[in-house]
Amino acid sequence: MKRIDNRYALGVIYLILTLYAAFSVIPFFWTTIQSFKTPRQANSRAPLFIFEPILDNYTDLWLKSIPDDPMLAAIILVAIFGLLVLVAINAKRFPLPRGFVYLAVLLAGFFVLVQIPEFIKTQTFYNYFLNTIIVTAGTICISISIGCLAGYGLARYSGIAGVIVLVAALGFRSLPGMSYILPYWWFGQRSGLYDTHILLIITLVAINQPFTIWMLRSFFMNIPKEIEESAMVDGANRLTAFISVIIPIMWPGIISTALFTLLLAYSDFLLVRILTQSNWTLTVAISKYAAGEDPGHITLAAAAAVSAAVPIIIVVFIFQGQLVKGLTSGAVKG
Amino acid sequence: MNRRTFYMFMSPSLLVMLALMVFPLLTSVWLSMQYMTFRNINEPEFVGLANYVAVFEDQKFWNAFSFTMTFIAIAVPMQIFTGFLIAVLLDQVSRRIRGIYIAAFLMPFIVVPVVGTLMVKQLFESGGIVAWAFRQLIGSRFILTEQSVKSLILIHALWAATPFPLIVFFAGLQTLPDELVEASMIDGATRLRQVRHIMIPHLRSLFVFVGLISIMDAYRVFDSVFVLTEQNPIYKAEVMMLYTFRTAMSVQRLGKANAMSVITVVLILVVLVPFLLRTYKEQTEER
Repeated sequence: MKRIDNRYALGVIYLILTLYAAFSVIPFFWTTIQSFKTPRQANSRAPLFIFEPILDNYTDLWLKSIPDDPMLAAIILVAIFGLLVLVAINAKRFPLPRGFVYLAVLLAGFFVLVQIPEFIKTQTFYNYFLNTIIVTAGTICISISIGCLAGYGLARYSGIAGVIVLVAALGFRSLPGMSYILPYWWFGQRSGLYDTHILLIITLVAINQPFTIWMLRSFFMNIPKEIEESAMVDGANRLTAFISVIIPIMWPGIISTALFTLLLAYSDFLLVRILTQSNWTLTVAISKYAAGEDPGHITLAAAAAVSAAVPIIIVVFIFQGQLVKGLTSGAVKG
Repeated sequence: MNRRTFYMFMSPSLLVMLALMVFPLLTSVWLSMQYMTFRNINEPEFVGLANYVAVFEDQKFWNAFSFTMTFIAIAVPMQIFTGFLIAVLLDQVSRRIRGIYIAAFLMPFIVVPVVGTLMVKQLFESGGIVAWAFRQLIGSRFILTEQSVKSLILIHALWAATPFPLIVFFAGLQTLPDELVEASMIDGATRLRQVRHIMIPHLRSLFVFVGLISIMDAYRVFDSVFVLTEQNPIYKAEVMMLYTFRTAMSVQRLGKANAMSVITVVLILVVLVPFLLRTYKEQTEER
């Protein structure tokens, strides 16, 4: 397409785009700056851009007391996680299937995270972080397993029932979460599952299932039918063909869907707020820092917001290709 | 694939959705006819439609309702207009620079809503840069009043929800055939007329799609309003979801809260039914 070549017009376009980009990123930039200030500096009358950054807000947020030898602790942690990342990057070189290596790395990483409070006195904020990991990982595993079966069925079945299931699922997904969550609360109270990870996981799976099946279906539709048909001619039944032939080529789609499920489960606020008393996830925990009377709450809230945003930014950065693929496939519907 | 295999593959997912989406909705209708607080969870008292009457007579509910409608009426057109404008401008920029802009534009979309709200709120705290600029320009402090909280909620909605229409429109513009634009250039069409007569008709179905989704998202807005009014309950700045939440969890009137949530479900059908019909038509044609 022929673009605008008038220099002034182009200048105006860049100006508008840059202003809008600034509008998008200034809150991130400002909150990060605030999180490295003392409460006094953060509350200064004129905004302060040059100051000596401190880590106190982060240590106050995460740790009850600073370990005797903070440098040593930091080096050990960086070494352990560095090693795990190295193993994951070089997964191809191991004589095991790659999936096993990734799984082992994830489990080892989780084990280390769980063990940390044994050595370093951590704040409850760290427990909320662990809760978030457990709930998110549980939701992804169950959601993707049952979602793959359904998504595959929906992609291959041409009867009207498939369309009805899809449209009904979309309808249920579009209703306000409150209409499910209040009954969940009541079930939780009556069954004694209130404030447990299990309740959070199964309800998050259910609430996100419509989205998951829509997205997985759109990926399965891109896989030609002939692939599993040839396997079925060779004597495999549909389920074996599905597991041994289709799933291995579906990995990019599965990872893409898992990424969106992760974003949804990690971000959920209303459901976790209503269904938990103390087993909060990060989103609910940080909402507690939103309000406060003492001047220290601003910097602590900033540190909490940055702490909760960093894991997501890292994940999105690693999987940015899959994210764009998911967004442009048109499968992202609310 | 035959019908039996289809249901076999569908069954786990279908079971989860029936048990945890369809069944709870029915339970919600049943709960809306009970008098229930935290004390009598196990033996609620049947009161018929009394909860619905209580909701309709509740001035705070109507306040929340009217603010929700105002919020939709202002936020949605604002998001769609800004998203479309930026998408059209972004389309004019060379491919290499686009990536950086898109990354910046997507930041508010990817970040957790509660975190994003906290970050926007930081700008307005007493030491924040926007609060400072406000003091410099207007000469008075930025204080939280009903009006200012409402504008904060709207600014946050523009910040957080514009990336969605932006990306959808931008992807839509990429499918616009070049020949169409070139032909119109030869005919002497101005840029503005191109937008009016080529781009907007080309994106028509996307406008409908984005419009419906944005309305439904604005209708169920909760996280940002909760964070921005936390411990600062300016009740007139409540949206319907938040009022339902407070009725259930703070006031402990669970029956009434369920009645409200049934009412919100019925109201959303106005937008949802056309949306579903449209999807149904699309899917049956595609089949």
